[in-house]
Amino acid sequence: MFEKPAVLQQPAAPTTSPDMPETPSERPSLFVKPASLGGPGSRAAPADVPAAGEEADAASSVPVEHDPADTAVIPAVSRDAAPRVPAAPTTPRTPDDTATEARPDTHTPAPAAPEPAEPDAEAGSAAEASGRASLATGEADSAATVPEHETGPETDDTIAEVAAGAPEDVTSASADEPAGDAFAGTFGTATAEPGDSAAADDMSHRSTSDDTTAVAAADPDAEPTVGETAHPSHDEPGPTAEAETAEAAEPAPTGDTAETSEPTQETPAVEADERLKTVEDRAADSGATKSGTAEDRAAADLTTDDRIVAAGATVHQVAEGRIVDAGAAVGQVAESRVVEDSPAATHVADDRAVEDGGAAADQVADDRVAESRVTAGLSAGDGADDGVGGEELPAELVEALTSALGTLRETVAGLRFGLDLPGVEEARKGQAALLAQLDDYVLPRIKTSTAPALIVVAGSTGAGKSTLVNSLAEKNVSRTGVRRPTTGHPVLACHPDDHRWFAEGELLGGLPRLSAPGDDKHGLVIVATQKLPQGVALLDTPDIDSVVEEHHEIAHRMLDVADLWIFVTTAARYADAPAWSLLRLAKERGARLAIVLSRVPQKSSDVVLKHFVRMLTEYGLGEIDRFVVHESEVTDGRLPDAEVTELRLWLAELSVDERRRARAVRETLDGVLNSFRTRVPALAKQLEAQVAFRAELRSDVEAAFLGALAELDRASRNGSLLHGEVLARWQDFAGSGDLIRSLRVRKRGRAGRQVPERVLAFKAAVRAGLESVIIAAANQACEEVAARWRHRAELGAKLGEDLDRPSDDLVRHTTRAIASWQDHLLELVRTEGVAKRSVSKIVKFDPDSLALIFMVAMFSGGAGEGVPHRLVNALLGAESLRAIGAKALTDLRARVGMLFDEEALRYAQALDSAGIPDESAATRLYQATYNLEVAR
Amino acid sequence: MTTMTTKPGLAARLSALTKVVELGAGRLDKKLLDEATELLLQAGDRLKLSSEHTVVALAGGTGSGKSSLFNAISGLDLSPTGVRRPTTARTHACVWGFDGTGPLLDWLQIQERHRFSRASALDKGDGQLHGLILLDLPDHDSIRALADTEADRLIGMADLVVWVLDPQKYADASTHRRYVTELAGHDAVTVFALNQSDRLTTEELAELVIDLNDLLRREGVEHPSVVPTSAVTGRGIESLKSVISAAVGRRRAAIQKLEADLARLERRISESMPLGEALSAPSSVDEARRMGLADALCDAVGVPAVGDAMESVYAERSNRWVGWPYPRWFGKFRSDPLKSLRLDDVGKEVRNIATAAVSAQSAEVANAVQALADGVSVGMHRVWRSAVHKAARSNARKLPQTLTDDLAAVAPPLDRVPAWWTLLRVWQYVLVLAFVVGLAWLAVGLFMPDQVPPALELLGDSEALPWVGLMTVAVLGLGALSGVASRNFVELGAARERERLEREMRRRVAAVSTTMVVEPVEAELTRHQAFYTALRDLSG
Repeated sequence: MFEKPAVLQQPAAPTTSPDMPETPSERPSLFVKPASLGGPGSRAAPADVPAAGEEADAASSVPVEHDPADTAVIPAVSRDAAPRVPAAPTTPRTPDDTATEARPDTHTPAPAAPEPAEPDAEAGSAAEASGRASLATGEADSAATVPEHETGPETDDTIAEVAAGAPEDVTSASADEPAGDAFAGTFGTATAEPGDSAAADDMSHRSTSDDTTAVAAADPDAEPTVGETAHPSHDEPGPTAEAETAEAAEPAPTGDTAETSEPTQETPAVEADERLKTVEDRAADSGATKSGTAEDRAAADLTTDDRIVAAGATVHQVAEGRIVDAGAAVGQVAESRVVEDSPAATHVADDRAVEDGGAAADQVADDRVAESRVTAGLSAGDGADDGVGGEELPAELVEALTSALGTLRETVAGLRFGLDLPGVEEARKGQAALLAQLDDYVLPRIKTSTAPALIVVAGSTGAGKSTLVNSLAEKNVSRTGVRRPTTGHPVLACHPDDHRWFAEGELLGGLPRLSAPGDDKHGLVIVATQKLPQGVALLDTPDIDSVVEEHHEIAHRMLDVADLWIFVTTAARYADAPAWSLLRLAKERGARLAIVLSRVPQKSSDVVLKHFVRMLTEYGLGEIDRFVVHESEVTDGRLPDAEVTELRLWLAELSVDERRRARAVRETLDGVLNSFRTRVPALAKQLEAQVAFRAELRSDVEAAFLGALAELDRASRNGSLLHGEVLARWQDFAGSGDLIRSLRVRKRGRAGRQVPERVLAFKAAVRAGLESVIIAAANQACEEVAARWRHRAELGAKLGEDLDRPSDDLVRHTTRAIASWQDHLLELVRTEGVAKRSVSKIVKFDPDSLALIFMVAMFSGGAGEGVPHRLVNALLGAESLRAIGAKALTDLRARVGMLFDEEALRYAQALDSAGIPDESAATRLYQATYNLEVAR
Repeated sequence: MTTMTTKPGLAARLSALTKVVELGAGRLDKKLLDEATELLLQAGDRLKLSSEHTVVALAGGTGSGKSSLFNAISGLDLSPTGVRRPTTARTHACVWGFDGTGPLLDWLQIQERHRFSRASALDKGDGQLHGLILLDLPDHDSIRALADTEADRLIGMADLVVWVLDPQKYADASTHRRYVTELAGHDAVTVFALNQSDRLTTEELAELVIDLNDLLRREGVEHPSVVPTSAVTGRGIESLKSVISAAVGRRRAAIQKLEADLARLERRISESMPLGEALSAPSSVDEARRMGLADALCDAVGVPAVGDAMESVYAERSNRWVGWPYPRWFGKFRSDPLKSLRLDDVGKEVRNIATAAVSAQSAEVANAVQALADGVSVGMHRVWRSAVHKAARSNARKLPQTLTDDLAAVAPPLDRVPAWWTLLRVWQYVLVLAFVVGLAWLAVGLFMPDQVPPALELLGDSEALPWVGLMTVAVLGLGALSGVASRNFVELGAARERERLEREMRRRVAAVSTTMVVEPVEAELTRHQAFYTALRDLSG
C-alpha cells in the first residue's frame, strides 16, 4: 500500500539473458525505487512474458488471479482448469526432450550473466514475467527465460513471483520456440527494479537451467497470446500496488542439465524503509526425478505476498484444495492466491488434477493452500513464513499518515457548504461520509493495522444477509424474517477474543454500541461467538435498496469502514441496478470484495451462475472471489451447514493466514486512501463552485448598479433630464420674467429678498426629475440582478426572490441625497462662483436662481449654446462653469453611488445570509490531499 | 370502436386542462406544461381508441414473476420465462377478443410478433375477460432498464397496472419511490399481486400481506388491493383474474386511469401555482388606478407646470399689451442688467423660451408604468407578476415620444394675442391721449390764457381749469385702473385657458395611457383570471 507516485518509478534495467533479449519494461508499480538506488544485486529477470509488455503494471503489482473463468477461488464455479500460472522454468533442452518429458515449456536460458548482478536489473521486476504465454507456446526452451533473480538483501520492493506455468496443453511440442517469441510474449518484466535485490547472494543460476520467474500478474492481454490455458494467474492486483511481492521461484529442472540449482530469490519489498527480505535461495536438486529439478524458491516475503514458486520438481499445489504435482517437486507458496502452472504437458483438466510436469511446474497457490501443502519436493520448503513480517506499518509511516490524515480531517470538518447549488447535497453527504470514514475507519486502522479484519456483509433487501451471518456465526445474531426490510441495525459478530477490540476500539467509534437492536436508537450491536474464527469479524448491515432510505445510508457507512466486502445478492436480483451500483462503488474504491450469490435454485444453478459470471466479467469483476448458496430450507434463521462451508473455509483461511488478511486489509485501506484522491477534490470543486457562484452573483450586482450609474451619467449629459416638468418650470421661470429679475443692477442697501415661489417650484422640479431618473435606473438594476440571478441557478432565483425591487427607503434617501446635492451646488455657486470683476461691479445675482440656471446649463449638455450657458458664461466665466460643473457632477455621482451601494448591500446580505464559502478552503483541501500523497 | 362515453366531469376537466396549457404557456413550469400536453395527447388518443378494451399491464422488478403470471393468466406459454435476470426485454401482449385492438396495440407500440390472441382459446370460462389486453412488461429496475424506458412508458399508458411483487423485493425502493408514491389516487386502477407466495408459509404470508398493506397505506395508497398469487401453484390466479375481469367488465378503467392521472397533474400544477386568492385578483384596471396612472403621466409631462408657465407667460406678456403704459415706459429707464452685460439678445431668447414645446420625461414615465403594474399585480404569483410588468412595459419605448407628440399638438402657442387685448390696448392709448390732451389744456389755460385763439376760447376759460385738472387726474387713475382691470381679465382668461389646456392634456394622456399601457395590462389580467378559472375547473 501506499504507493508512491508513479514518477518515482523507474524502469528497471533489464538484464538480458543471452537468449532473450530483454525488454525492459517499466513497472508501473509504485514502490519501485529508482534504479539508482538499487542495491548491488541485480536480477535479471527475463521473464518471458507474453504480451506482457503492455500491461506490465498490472502484473507486477499484484498478484491477482485473473482469469475469470478459472478463478481458482471459487471452486464451485470454475470447473475449468485452474488457472495456470505461467512461470516456467526451463531448462534448455532440446525441444524434443522437453516435449516428451512434459516439462514446462519455458525454459529459460538462463542468462548466466545476470546473476551476479547487475545492479540494475532487478529481480523483482522480473518476477512478473508470466510464463504463460510463452509457455503456452510451449517451448520449454525458448520461452521463458527468466529469471533469476537475485536479490539483494536490500531489495526494496520487488518481487517477482514466479509463476511458472506451464500451459496446460503443452503437449504440442513445439518445443522450440524461438526465444524471440517467448520474449515477446513475456511481460516486459524483465525490468530490473532498482531497489531490489541487492547483492544478495545471488542466486545461482545456472546457465543452463533457468529460472523461471513467476509472474505475478497476468494480464488480460497476455491471455490471448497464451492459449487459454495459459493464463497467468495472478494475484491481486491491488490497485495500490502493494508492496511487492516477491516471488520467484524458479526451478529449473533440467533433465539434462544437471544442475539444478536455481537461485531464487526474492526480494521483498517493503515499504520504503524497511525492507526485509530474506532472500532465500534454495536450490534444490532433485536428482531423483529424471529431470533434475532444481528448485528454488525464494521466499519472498514481503509484507504482502509470498509466493512460492515451485520449480521443476513436483509441485503440489493445492490451490483450493487441489494439488498439482509438477514433475519436480517444488513447492512454492505464492501469495495468497495460488497460481498453478502446470508446465507443459499437463493438462489440467480439472482443478483437481494433479499435474506432473516433468518440468517445473509452478504454482502459486493461495496461501491457504499453500501452507498446507508444500509437498515433498520441497527440499527447499521454504517458509512461507518469512513473509509475514510486514504486517504492521512502520512507525514513521504511521505517524506521517496520521498527521496528514489529521490535517485532512480537520480541513474537511471545517468545510461549510453554504450555498444550495446543484451538487451541494452530494458534497455535504460526501463530506459527512469522508469524516465518518476517517474517524470510524481510516485513522483507527492506520494506528492498529493488525486489528481483526472487519468483513461487511452488504446487499439487497431479502438477499439473505442476516441469514448468512447467522449461519456463519451459528448463532442468531441478527433478526431474519419475511418482512422487508428486515435488518435496520448493523450487527457485528466476532470471536470473543476480538470482542473487546470492537467494543472499545476506535473503529466505528462514531456509533454507540447497543446491547440489543432497539427501534429508535442508532447504533451498533456487537455479538461474540466462538464459531467465528479469530481475526475476522462479520458485520451484518441493513439493505441498500429498500424503501427505507436511511438503511441505505447506514449500509454505506458500514461499507466505508469495511476491510473486506461480502456482497450478497440472489438469483432473482443479480441484475438489479442498485446491486451493480454498489459493485461499481467497490471497484472505484478498490475494496477487497467477495460476492455471494444466494438463493440459487438447484436446478437452474448452472445457467444463473454462468450468466452472472459473464456479467461480472463484462464488468471487469470476473476475478473476484465468488460463493454460491443454494436455495434451501432455512431453519431458525440459518442455512444448512453445507451451504456455507466454503465461506467458512474462506473465513478460516483468512483468520489463519495473517499475511493474507493483512494484505487484504491494507489493500482496502489503500483503496480508500486512493479514493480520497477523487473524493476530496470533488469537495474542493464544489467549494470552488460555490466561491465562483458567489463571485458571479456579486459581479451581477455590481454590473447592474454600474449600469444604473452609467444611465444617470447619460441622462445628466444628454439633456434628457430637461424634459417634462423641469422644462415647463424652466419656461415658467424664464417666461415669467423672474429669470431677468433675478439679475439686477447692483444697488446699495438692497438686502436679499424672499426666494420667489417659482424658483422653489423649479428647484423642486429639478429634484423630482433627478429622483425619477435615479429610481428608474435603480428599478431597472434590481430587476436585472434578479433576472440574472434567476438565470444562473435555482438558488439565485430563491435568493433574489424578494429583491427585484429597490428597497422602500430608496425614494426617501434619494430625495435627501438630491436635496443635499442641490444645497451643495448652491454653496459652490456662492463660494466659488465669484463673478467676473467687470460683471460684479454692475450686476448682482441671486444665488438660488443662478444655481438653478447653472443646473440647467449643466444638464442641457451640448456645446454651450443656449440661454443658460450664455448667462452663466457671461456672469461667471467659462472657466467657473467648467470647474463647478465638474465638481457638481462628481459630487452627484458620489452621492448616487452611495445610494446604489446601499441597494447593492441588500444583495450582498442576501448572499451572505445564504452562507459564505471559505475561499481558501479549496486550496487547503488540495494541499491536504497532496500532503497525504506525500506521506504515503 | 365506439367513442367512450365519458362522464361529464372528465371531458370538462380535459378541456380545462387544455385551457390551462394554452394560457399557461410561458407562465407555467416547462416540465409541467410538457407533462400536461403529454397527458392531453394520451387522453385524446386513448379515448379515441377502443373503449371496449381494457389495457392491463403486469409491472414489477426483475425476477418477480411477471411473465410466469402472464402465462398463468393467459393459460398459454406466451412469454418466455427464465432464471436469467433480466428475462423479458420486450413487452408481450395477449388479447381477449381481438377485434378492434389493432390501433390500440399500435398506439401502445407493441410489436406485431409479440401480440397474441386468446380469441380462439376463449372458450372455457374466460368470457368475462373479453376485452382484456394483458401486457407483460419488461422490468424497471435492472441495469438493463437504466437504458430502456419501455416499462416506464407503458406503466403510464396502461389503464390498469398490476404490480407484481415478490417476497424478496416487495419493499424495493425502485418500485416504491419511483412509482407507488406517485400513485396516490390511483387505487381504483392499481392492483398489487404478491407473487411467489408458494415460497412462504401461511403465517409468513399473512404477516407479509399485512406489512405490505401498511407500507402501501403509508405511501398514500388508501385502499390497496393486494392479491397473493403463485404462478407456480396457481394459487390466487383466479382471484387476480376476477379482479381484472371486474375492471374489464366495467369498461371504466381507462377513464378512471385518466381521471387519476389528471388529478395527479392537477395537484402538481396547483402546488406550483396555488389557486389561493388568485381569482380575487382584478381582471381589469379600475378607475382609480387609471386616474393614478394618468396623473403620474401628466406629472411626467409636467402638465401643471405647463399650466403655470402658460399663466406666467400670459401675465408677463399681457403686461406689455394691456398694462398701463406709463409705468412700463418708466421702467425702461431703469438700467437693464442684460444690456450692461451686452446680452441683449438673450432677453429676446428668454422671451422665446416660452414658446418651446412640452415633452415627457422618460424616467418618470417608466416609474409611473411600474407603479401601475406593481399595484395591480399585488398578491399574484411571481410569474404572473412579471408577466403583468412585461405587458405594462410592452410600449415603454414608444410611450414618452407618443406623449410628447400628442401633447405638443394641444399646447397653446404662448405668443398668441387675443383680439380683446388689442381693444384694451387701444383704450389704454386713448386714455394716454386724453391725459396728454388734459395736460395740454391745463398748460394752455394756466400759462397763456390770452393767446388762445378765439375759436378755442374755451381753453382759456379759467373756470373750467379745475375741472380739467380733475379730469386729467381721473384719466390717469382710470388708466391705472383699467391696466389693473385688464391684467385681471387676462389672468382670468389665462386661468380659463389653463383649465381647458389641462383638461385637454389630461384627456390625451389618459387616452394614450389606455391604449399603450392599460390595455396590455388588462389583457394579461384577463389571461390570469382565465388561467385560474380553468385551474379551478380542472380541480373540479
